[in-house]
Amino acid sequence: MSEEVRLFVEREAQLLDQMRYEEWVALFLPDARYWVPVSLDQPSPEAGPSHFHDDIQVLMVRTHRLANPRAFGAEPSPRTVHTVSGVSSEESEDGLKVTSSQIMLEYRDRGNYDEDLRLFGGQVTHHLRRVDGALRIAQKRIDLINAQGAFNAMLAPL
Amino acid sequence: MATQMRERDVLSPADLVREDEVHRSVYTDPALFDLEMKRIYGRAWLYLAHRSEFKEPGDYVVRHMGTQAVILTLEKDGEVHAIFNRCTHRGATLCAFDKGSAPNGHQCPYHGWMFNADGTVRFIPYDKGYADRLDKGEFGITRVRLEEYRGFLFGNLAGDEAGPLDDFLGHMKSSIDDLVDRSPTGELECGPYVLRHYYRANWKMTFENLNDTVHPGFAHAASVVSAKAITKEVGGPENIVPTLGMMMANGKPVQFFQDLDMVTAPGGHSYIGGHMGADYTPDTSDQYTRSLMDFHGQEKARDVLSVDRHLMLLYPSSFWHARYQTIRIIRPVRHNLTEMIGFVFRLKGAPEETYRNAVEYCTGANSAASPVISDDLEIYERLLLGNGFDQREWIPMSRGIEEDRENAGTYDRMPATSEGFIRNQFKAWASYMGEA
Repeated sequence: MSEEVRLFVEREAQLLDQMRYEEWVALFLPDARYWVPVSLDQPSPEAGPSHFHDDIQVLMVRTHRLANPRAFGAEPSPRTVHTVSGVSSEESEDGLKVTSSQIMLEYRDRGNYDEDLRLFGGQVTHHLRRVDGALRIAQKRIDLINAQGAFNAMLAPL
Repeated sequence: MATQMRERDVLSPADLVREDEVHRSVYTDPALFDLEMKRIYGRAWLYLAHRSEFKEPGDYVVRHMGTQAVILTLEKDGEVHAIFNRCTHRGATLCAFDKGSAPNGHQCPYHGWMFNADGTVRFIPYDKGYADRLDKGEFGITRVRLEEYRGFLFGNLAGDEAGPLDDFLGHMKSSIDDLVDRSPTGELECGPYVLRHYYRANWKMTFENLNDTVHPGFAHAASVVSAKAITKEVGGPENIVPTLGMMMANGKPVQFFQDLDMVTAPGGHSYIGGHMGADYTPDTSDQYTRSLMDFHGQEKARDVLSVDRHLMLLYPSSFWHARYQTIRIIRPVRHNLTEMIGFVFRLKGAPEETYRNAVEYCTGANSAASPVISDDLEIYERLLLGNGFDQREWIPMSRGIEEDRENAGTYDRMPATSEGFIRNQFKAWASYMGEA
């Protein structure tokens, strides 16, 4: 079980790094949420604004857009690499709650030397449900260690 | 360096602005940025905080006025004071956090000097060592002049030399009223979570972008295309979430915006939109509308709900969006670095849903991860890069210059496609900057 979960979380990150966005979105359930709070103590996405609070439609638009040459903010596209560690899971009411530590290195070639590389990191919480035998994402929450900080444009999903 | 300074003295900043064009150096010159901090941010009324952010005596927030930080603290007597975030001893900043509680005053971490909320010295450890060389009365922290309009606290670094806040706001008070009057109790509550983003370009670029209605069809075209494609995929417009609708609004034809009004007012302020007209009848079955009518009376409630203004720009430091209960503050850090800080307000007494909608809008439209904002941030940075070349000295801002619809004295009205708001900003800019 835990091996399957660990592989799932790693594969999810890998799909992002390989820019296989359609397959990535397909991991999410139709009522799933993708949430990046602006504070480590933000109790819910309704309590205040978030960096990301996407339902499946917004996720679809976001990733569809990354493939559009007129998405200036993604021109050229961001390239990312994730490292995933410390995956652990526990049974929850309606599935599995999985936590992991993740670091994402992002690169966009904008001619600004080292400034073109950015680091994101924090704790990732997946709520997974098994549907037709396969694990799917009901919620992905990313608590960035600098959640309350100011960010420049974020194109690549974390 | 010395030559540069001498040239600066000779070239008056006001000469960088003409009726219909502006010199590119206003974005790229660090020396002009320093002057802006003194002459614009040092003179204008800047929005700092809302009353509801202070609950208990000692509650404080730290905000910026240009490049300087101030601490606003609630006193026991109910008064909010603003003082510079700087110890008068060796100059260290006092508060390390954006907000908190300091009922016993603010203490410097270096030698323990303590100050009251109003800046007066509370305690100096080992003060006998100073013999009689240190007059505590002279070592209070300078207070910043504050004035309040309907619960919103504004500060002015020019102190007594500044005119009243009321004059500064002028016609734009109606946009602040627009926000407050939407509350069925007349009260607002500032949400505790703030949304911050930054970009590596000049602060003025945001001002020149947020009331520009011609750029969305181009700069945000990619999200319009993607939102349309996904709309189709999910079975049509009746199935989409509001954030997709918000993205697609950027794809409206220019004529749509040409028919809307833009209103500019002295001081560099502006907004888009106006009144939907008296034929708008609030739906009395709606709980929110009903509570609004109970509070204001039917006539006034109808009036409040019929106002439909897009962003109000309060030059030089804040952006007000009454319909989505959002205020954003701009923090210029350097000529090429700017931060935006967004607050969402709860209309006290309104259904929780109104706050949720505002939060959803703010996340979708104002976050650094917003597909819309991320395009804008990219454009600002490209503007700074391009204007760093000395290819062309002057940037045109003449769109709509012959299209004014009304000149009322306290405000001017023109098509929403006009660059009149940019001309109006630079008129204010030249006026602030031209005065030594």
